[in-house]
Parts: sequence; structure tokens; C-alpha cells
Amino acid sequence: MPQVILPIGPQHPALKEPVNFKVIVDGETIVGLELDVSYTHRGIEKAAEQRDFIRVVPLLERVCGICSHAHGTAFVMGIEEVMQLEIPPRAQYIRTIVAELERMHSHILWLGVAAHVVGFNTLFMWTWRDRETTQDLLEEMTGNRMNYGINEVGGVRRDLTPGQITSALSRLPKLEEQIAKYVDMVMNQETMLLRFRGIGKLSKAEALKYGTVGPTARASGVDYDIRRDDPYIAYSEIPWKVVTDTSGDVFGRTLVRIGELQESLGIIRYCLEHLPEGQIGVPAPKVAPVAEILSRYEAPRGELVHFIRTNNTDRVERIDIRTPTLANWTSVTVSLVNQNIADIPVIVAAIDPCLSCTSRITILSERGRKTAEMTWDQLSEYGRKSSRERDRC
Amino acid sequence: MSGPLELEQVKSALERFGTVEQVRSNRIKVKTVPDKVREALFRAQALLACDHLIQISAMDNGLSFELIYHLTGPHRTVLAIAIELPRERPEMPTTSDILPPAGIYERQIYDLFGIVFTGHPNLKRIILSEDWPEGEYPMRKDWKPKPRTKPGSVGEEVK
Repeated sequence: MPQVILPIGPQHPALKEPVNFKVIVDGETIVGLELDVSYTHRGIEKAAEQRDFIRVVPLLERVCGICSHAHGTAFVMGIEEVMQLEIPPRAQYIRTIVAELERMHSHILWLGVAAHVVGFNTLFMWTWRDRETTQDLLEEMTGNRMNYGINEVGGVRRDLTPGQITSALSRLPKLEEQIAKYVDMVMNQETMLLRFRGIGKLSKAEALKYGTVGPTARASGVDYDIRRDDPYIAYSEIPWKVVTDTSGDVFGRTLVRIGELQESLGIIRYCLEHLPEGQIGVPAPKVAPVAEILSRYEAPRGELVHFIRTNNTDRVERIDIRTPTLANWTSVTVSLVNQNIADIPVIVAAIDPCLSCTSRITILSERGRKTAEMTWDQLSEYGRKSSRERDRC
Repeated sequence: MSGPLELEQVKSALERFGTVEQVRSNRIKVKTVPDKVREALFRAQALLACDHLIQISAMDNGLSFELIYHLTGPHRTVLAIAIELPRERPEMPTTSDILPPAGIYERQIYDLFGIVFTGHPNLKRIILSEDWPEGEYPMRKDWKPKPRTKPGSVGEEVK
């Protein structure tokens, strides 16, 4: 059987940000993968070198729409450390609340997308409804549903009023109840078990070898979470635990993310109930001394790193951003090998990559005799159909 | 989870390659030369359990290119191995066979800085668009944006 190259993308309806895969298949089995992530290169790192610290924070928030707070916080933390600023605890707690709300909305969104990819649209609708709660809370606290703009060098830009705190606390029990339902569904719903169990397996040794981060690594038993290992903002003061699993497949990654939803909810509740009194920021100097810093942050998708070098001016000399998705690509290449084409959507979706909308798949035979195009929807449908057929056998 | 790496431990393992200093708690930096990086990474893996590559930071300081390999492991200490490369001959042996995640980071650096990693199995364009001009490396300090040219957009003929 000749090997066939199957290009997927660059557009992708289920996820965010475009990427192009060239999947090499032998029959139905994947034997290799090559990728191209050039489509959304916007030159943000270069642009960040031209702007002062005040104007670079909103720019960096726009690196990613889903983890905008992650990028903003990683950067301001780094600059604050260079400037040796003591950030008031109230500001750190507010940053933590926004960070965990962001993690919740990202994980809920992922769960919905994963459910949709395997054809379980009831859960997809549920998650979208429940995600509105976190979006409403974010909007009330920061003024925005996305790109919150809460951070600045020296603290946060908005305080929480007692009314906001009470109102937020009153909406958490309902969300908690819904998350408990998700746990029950994922553990017992046959549709999800059939499509998630044993798919995209990554052993602990492989996860370590290929440098995976975040829920993908934790689902393979790698106990690695920056919030505990290199604590920042308020995490060292809050009781919470790192969620890990040993199954190493898509099912494990789902369990880890749902477990993290429960942990995040606990962190938010603790922060709201124990919000320290005081200032929400300190005045920051305009320039930062010569220094270099590696600022690490546990974004919803895994460890995010900002390497910052300052040069005694009001601008950065260099900011080098390593996003969690880039770290996880190497492992996707591995977990796809020897899998069925039908499982591409769910395996790719399982690392929760930052990809983008509307996709087209061209199937080309090597000799060019047979050319067909498939949309992402058709591929997902094909995946569902062939998994039904597999069950019948 | 073992305890953090001690400066003395790192010194005994890596001092032969260059200067070792504790930058702050949880961060240790080793300055070495390009030829010694592979050996230093081997020793860091074998003796200091540094099994995770966080990032290869690259920067242009105007006089030379700097690369910093940030490693960590079960001890949760970040070990940085820093080198400088001459601007006129930006070449560096690959480390992707020692640390597989380095492969994708090296491709990114090759694309943005034009640093060649010799021995890399697949050193191809990854970040910039396919019609980006050859030999232009946007993250170099002497590269300036050219507002009139727009690689990655539709060409003149499409209106």
C-alpha cells in the first residue's frame, strides 16, 4: 500500500488559530506528520521591542484571545521582578481570580469542542451555556469578556467591590453543580468513553522525552505545574492541589481538565472569601534596569514562558515567548503515529491547540490519480461513522 | 519531587564548561561556548536530572547572537546554559537528538534569526510565511520593517 500525504488545514473550524498538517498515511494508519504554523505570525515580539511598558501590556494580551491574561501576567510579573516592586496582596489575589476564571472558561470551552468533535452535541450545548457564567463574571470584574486589560506594571487597574464579590460567590454553587455533572458524564457516558479511552496514548516516559506541558503532561502522570513548582502571584497562599492522571490518553486529559475545573473553582472561592484589604497597585518607575528574567506561568494549556531582557530604558531589549502549544506539538507528532485517520480530530483537539476556524482537507494519492477534498465536518463525521463501524465488529 | 538544585552540585557538574552563578533562588546560569553545549546538556541530563527543555531563548545584542537553553527537572530549578555566537558565522551544532523538543525551537530560531543548526534533521521554515524573502531575518536588530512589502498577503495581480 503506497503512503499518502493528507494535508489538513490551515483553516480549522473546531479550534482557534490556523495550522497546516501534512499527515502521511499508509492506508488508514498514520505514519508521520509535518506541520506549518506560519499563518498567524504577526511579528508581536518585534513590535514589543518598539513600545514602552505601558503600551506593550495590551499588545501582549493579544498574543492569544483565550489566554490573554496569561500573557499579560507573565510579562508584568517579569518586569515587576526586574524593577523589584512589592505588589500589594489584593492585586495579586485579583490577578489570581481572573487567571483561574480564564482557566475555567478555557477548559469548559475545550470540553465542549472535544464533545462536539466526537459527535456528542448535548454536552457541547451545556458547556457553552455554563461558560457564559465565567464570561459574565470576567466581564463584571474586568470590563471585558476577552482581553481583560486588568493588568498593568505595578498592580491591577480595577478593584472589586463588596457587591461584586457577593454576587460572584452566589453564582459559584450552580457552576459547581454543573461541573459535577460533567464528571459524571465523562466517567459514565458511553459515547465519550468509546471515543476517548486508549486514543492518543502518550506514556510518562514519552511525555517527559518530548517535553509536553500542562494537562497533556499531567494526564501522562508527569507531576509538573508551575503554580506549585515556581509559585507566582498568590498561589503559594492558597490551598489547592495539582491534578494528575496516569491513563495518558484523551480520556486522561479530559479527567485532568475537569479536575482542574473543580480546583479552579475552589481557588476562586478562596480568593473571593479571603481577599486582602489594601491597595491594588504601586506606582512603577518608567524605566527598568539592565536585567534578564525568565517569567513562567501556568496557562490553561500548560507552561508559558516569557524570556525578557531589559536595557535601562522604558522598552524591552528582547521578549521571547514560548507558548505551551509549541511545546506540545512534538508530542502530537508522536501520539498520532499508528493511530487511525478517524481519530485525528480528537487527538489534535486533546492537546487543546491554539488553531483556527474553517478548514479544508485534501486527500491526494501519491500518484495523483485520486484527489478528493473533505471539510473538517466531513472528517469529523467520517470519524464518528468509522468508530460506529468499529464497535459493530 | 526532590529538593532544589544546589549551586555546588551544578558547579561540580558543569564548572569545567564555564562560569556558574546563582541568578536568584530557583535559577542557576552557566556561561559556556558553542562547542561545549552538547556536552554540557549531556552532563546536565545525566548528573543533574535536567530532563525538560523549557525554551531556547535567542537574541541579537548587536555584536553577537546569544542563545540560552533553559532546562529543568524534578528538582524544579531552572538551569540556564548560555552561549554567544559570532554574527558573521551563526552556526551551532543541533541538540535535537539529545532533547527532542529542541527540534521545533531550533527551527523557529533558524527562521527568525538565521542561525544554522548543523545536523538538524529537518531545518525548514516554520514560523514565517512561505513567500517571505530568503535571507531576511526579522528578529535581528538590523532588520527594519518594510511597510511597502507584505509577504503573506495577496499579491498585486489579485485585486
